[in-house]
Amino acid sequence: MSRYFLLLLFMICFSASVKAQGQKCSISGVAYNSQGETLPGIMVLLQDSSLGAVTDMNGFFSINGLSAGTHSIYLSGLGYQRKDVPVKVAPQDKMEIIVILEESEEELGEVVVEGKTFEKEIEESGFAVNVIETKKASLQSLQTNDLLNRTAGIRVRQNGGLGSAVNYNLNGMSGNSVRIFIDGIPISTYGASFSLNSIPPALIERIEVYKGVIPAHLSDDALGGAINVILKQDMSNNLTASVSYGSFNTLQANFSSMYRNEKNGFTVRASGFHNYSDNNYEVWGKFVRNILPNGRYEYVRTRRFNDAYRSTGGQIQLGFTNVKWADQFLIGFNGSNDYNEIQHGNYMTIPYKGRFTTSQSNVLNLNYNKKDFMVKGLEVTFTGMHSDRHEVVNDTVRWNYNWFGEKSIGLNGTPILRSGGAQQGAPTINHIDRKVTTFRSGLNYDINDNHRVVFNHMYYTIDRREQDLMKTELERSFIGTRDLTKNISAVAYEMNAFNSRLKTNLFTKFYQQQIERMNPILLRQNGEQIRGEDTAKSKRNTTGYGLATSLNVLPKLMLIVSAEKAVRMPSENEIFGSPGDNIIENISLRPEISNNLNVGFRGGFLYNSDHKFDFYVSGFLRDTKDKIVQRINPRMNDAIQTDPFENLGLVKSKGFEAELKYEMGRNLNVFLNFSRFNTVFNQQYDPNGKEYTYYNQQLPNEPFFTVNNMVQYTLNDFIQTQSTVILNYNFGFVDRFYTSWMEIDEFRTPRQFIQDIGISYMFPNKKFVISADARNIFDRQAYDNFAVQKPGRAFYLKLNYTINNF
Amino acid sequence: MKKLLLNGLLIGAMLGSAALTGCSNDDPMPDNPGNADRWVTVSGALMGSTPGDGNGGTMVYAVSKDDARNPEVSIDVFENGYGVRSNRTARLQASEDGSTLFNIAYTGDNGGEFTKYAVNGGRNFNPIDGGVNISQYAGTSPRWVKLFDGDRTGIAVNVTLPVPNNAPPAGGTFAYYRGVATVLALDFQETLISGYRQYEIPLTAEEELQGHTIFRLDAPVLNKLGNKLIIGTWMRKYDVASNTVANNFERLGTKSVVVDYPSLENPTIITSSVGHGDCSGYRSFNSFVASDGNIYQATQRDPKGSHILRINQNNEYDNSYIFSLDAALGVKGVYVDAWRYVNDNIAYVLYTHGGTDQGYVAQVDLSARTATKVEGIPYDADLDFSQYQGFMVDGDEVYIAVTPTGKNGNIYILNSKTNEVIKGATLINKPGNHYIGVF
Repeated sequence: MSRYFLLLLFMICFSASVKAQGQKCSISGVAYNSQGETLPGIMVLLQDSSLGAVTDMNGFFSINGLSAGTHSIYLSGLGYQRKDVPVKVAPQDKMEIIVILEESEEELGEVVVEGKTFEKEIEESGFAVNVIETKKASLQSLQTNDLLNRTAGIRVRQNGGLGSAVNYNLNGMSGNSVRIFIDGIPISTYGASFSLNSIPPALIERIEVYKGVIPAHLSDDALGGAINVILKQDMSNNLTASVSYGSFNTLQANFSSMYRNEKNGFTVRASGFHNYSDNNYEVWGKFVRNILPNGRYEYVRTRRFNDAYRSTGGQIQLGFTNVKWADQFLIGFNGSNDYNEIQHGNYMTIPYKGRFTTSQSNVLNLNYNKKDFMVKGLEVTFTGMHSDRHEVVNDTVRWNYNWFGEKSIGLNGTPILRSGGAQQGAPTINHIDRKVTTFRSGLNYDINDNHRVVFNHMYYTIDRREQDLMKTELERSFIGTRDLTKNISAVAYEMNAFNSRLKTNLFTKFYQQQIERMNPILLRQNGEQIRGEDTAKSKRNTTGYGLATSLNVLPKLMLIVSAEKAVRMPSENEIFGSPGDNIIENISLRPEISNNLNVGFRGGFLYNSDHKFDFYVSGFLRDTKDKIVQRINPRMNDAIQTDPFENLGLVKSKGFEAELKYEMGRNLNVFLNFSRFNTVFNQQYDPNGKEYTYYNQQLPNEPFFTVNNMVQYTLNDFIQTQSTVILNYNFGFVDRFYTSWMEIDEFRTPRQFIQDIGISYMFPNKKFVISADARNIFDRQAYDNFAVQKPGRAFYLKLNYTINNF
Repeated sequence: MKKLLLNGLLIGAMLGSAALTGCSNDDPMPDNPGNADRWVTVSGALMGSTPGDGNGGTMVYAVSKDDARNPEVSIDVFENGYGVRSNRTARLQASEDGSTLFNIAYTGDNGGEFTKYAVNGGRNFNPIDGGVNISQYAGTSPRWVKLFDGDRTGIAVNVTLPVPNNAPPAGGTFAYYRGVATVLALDFQETLISGYRQYEIPLTAEEELQGHTIFRLDAPVLNKLGNKLIIGTWMRKYDVASNTVANNFERLGTKSVVVDYPSLENPTIITSSVGHGDCSGYRSFNSFVASDGNIYQATQRDPKGSHILRINQNNEYDNSYIFSLDAALGVKGVYVDAWRYVNDNIAYVLYTHGGTDQGYVAQVDLSARTATKVEGIPYDADLDFSQYQGFMVDGDEVYIAVTPTGKNGNIYILNSKTNEVIKGATLINKPGNHYIGVF
């Protein structure tokens, strides 16, 4: 914590001193169309530099860090003619201009290409991908997981409120088969304290969600999909900060800032966040009961009492951008820590008290990238990271508690001991240290405008040590270690043909994994027993490949097809077992393989020039073989009940999803998506050659049908001129599903329909935005997981502050 | 007095159901025909992820005794049955007359929840008296059986994971590994917990220094006098030099825990010199009071094959009683999955031998110390009794469900007097599933 503050202080002093020497010139302005309406999404670029900006939803832009003198800026945007504007700025000047753009007649050409947002470019690349822009959402009191959960085909299943454990389901695939990245680096480099639970949307540029088929630059053994979080990448000087407070004593604050010295390219980026919540929301219903001394139930409505969550973190990067020798060269430090109380296990029927985890991570990183490196068309990227992660699981309280947070008293009048010795099993104060080193390097070569070759390599190594302070020293000295190293190389060839109507991306990935395990053993030496080490290595190589392609069948209708033979390497516990979790080793375990296919259409049309529709429909198939599952031995004859993992299961998932966007003028935005899938048991015959009853049946505990809807209405010049009011309405629907093969009502979740509303007010100076949000407005019981209730009605107020000129 | 009253009630219930159902019994009358008009409930375990694991839940279905005895009648519990609320295999027990089922849900959101069901035939099982949850005392996956005391009491037991005495924060030198044991009594009539005790149960200091400890308690039985409970144990040994679980070790003599009843106090340990296995059974009874007043107990994981041990009326092992099932059956490595006493010192044993999972049935004579494999039952290679729970004893007869995993089978009715083997109703199976009891 103190280290983090020092860094902050250093950053502030440093940027202040640099600032004093620079020549603070800037140009800002507003873009209008010929009717006098402001134009969002217009690119504003400096002719002979890479400086630039994009107008915000009020048509406002600003470019900072200019040197004094004459500049030529030009503005262009989809549907408008390019406009060049010469400007002359004096030292220390802050120039403001107004630019009116003429509507363009031509449909094609340079302007259109430039007008394409990054989001569109990714979405049209042929992959089954959703790009979540966080810009608007970051004004509201929303978490990153909320944004993901509102996206088609993604189900975020959280075990409670802010900070609680999360599982992501992408098109029916979940758990280990979904990998999460931050700027292309596996999130396990950072640990729990810097995760989608703690990173606020305001620090995120966008989130890319790849389903089933993953591009070569995200190298990992992601069998079912990848979520790639791109942190903010502003190139103009700015400072944004926000603070939100609301129900359950929830406080969320963050800031991010960027400074670049125009003269020498020196760049500082810094950001920080702090989240806190008591998560003491009310719970009720059939899972919330106190057990009386005689065993009878007393149903109660009460607040959660052991669920507080706090996370704090920050990142600073120093270096140079857009200089001769690098487009970006940054050295950075990322520090974070969290504290997380755990209210219950898989079900909320048994409340815990005193179980919590803490985690910290310190990450050093280096980023380098350069276009036209040595040769024109060659782009080089490199990211190197080293992290030190520390995690503690603490559970030492011996008593049973009821939902009022009181010790349960037994028939004898004395407190009742937990049957495992602590809240969730045996008492533990387990310290887990991990050192993670990750290198990612990429080479892209544009042979010409239509052909590109991509090479990417990732090296990842993790070294894990464990110390449970509730175990005797002897026991601790007999805990084994596991070191894992992964090398994943990917090669891709991208091609555009027929005037970019056809885009194809062919790729192959080569996975290598090496795990070293050391189990301490007893050796007999000269009649005495001494501790020895038994080490073993496991190496695995596998190859996967795939393609993604998009074809404009009509000017506004695109066919998108992608397929991959995806791979998940077995984890260290799956191969080498874990005596503590009753798993024994199975050296011969093979990787899980899944054949994934997505076929979809993307398109849009304009009706009466005021009604704009965009849609996306996609069907998918995931055919997983050699699924790694733990064998369950019905006999349990061994006094040590241990079972290995095996390549047993076959699972198939098929379904479809659709998204519809509708815009009316510049005021109304409606966004609707739904997703429906079947994840089925795909083993057809039992050992006797008879067809399983479950064959082709939906697996239990899968939320298979979800609908999300968002309506946004923007009102300009409300109360004050130049001000903006944005109204939001959102609903999420999850259909009921069984949680067990036995389809009885007790094992079925309720149908859910959760509604949120919000309002944001942007002051005329564009610096302040104030937002109020009401979540789950009808206070419905919400469940992501069976027998775990999520927060009911909640209110939040948020203040955002942005300065673009300094 | 109370018992007499209860029996009266039971007879009344029997007469009542006879009047209601009006069943007729055309079978030849055995010596002790049992209760002619009772329900016979069969239970089946659904597979979770692998065939035979039983982790998909448990379903039950009740038929008349006539139907249960008729091979022309087909019962498909998985298609037509009632799902008992339990995430994994339910731990079922039944009243002696078959009119009530008792269940304790195993793991999951309702793990440890005790439910009584009135058996009304077919898939009509009605939960009565709401739920009682014992998980605070005995955990969400407790082991329990009912006592043979006229359907009045169930006993659940649990031991927490053994920890060394010198584990932090205590420290010091090592002396023992112990868990905390819970013994809990459940009143079936009032549907509530009537008492519980929690304690550490020490072995001898020497045994404990070697790392031996009680890993589980299971299968309690009430002695003939009704003043002691004898509780089976599952032993574990830790390698003291490394504090890890020992895989292979020289086993101690079979041990049982004796506690006072009904106070559940004063736990003591008795040790056999005949058997060296555990006596915990698995998901069902493992000890019975026979007509001679002694308790007979089967062993599992016994290095020389399962034995039947005798505990005399002084609540001590009778080491002069030696009954090796290996010797009696003439095979090696007998392992008793489950067994059931019928009457007159005759019992039936479900067992495997030679290290395979294939199940067999044998009749044992506890006085003569003989065992005979029951012929007339098809012994399929996939017949696995490891999760078997329910034997219906009715007069001289015992009903068992015989279904190989994923294959159809039948109820078999074994007569302890005539040695007759009757093939009863056909049990329709589903791939990966198996039937685990008749109640």
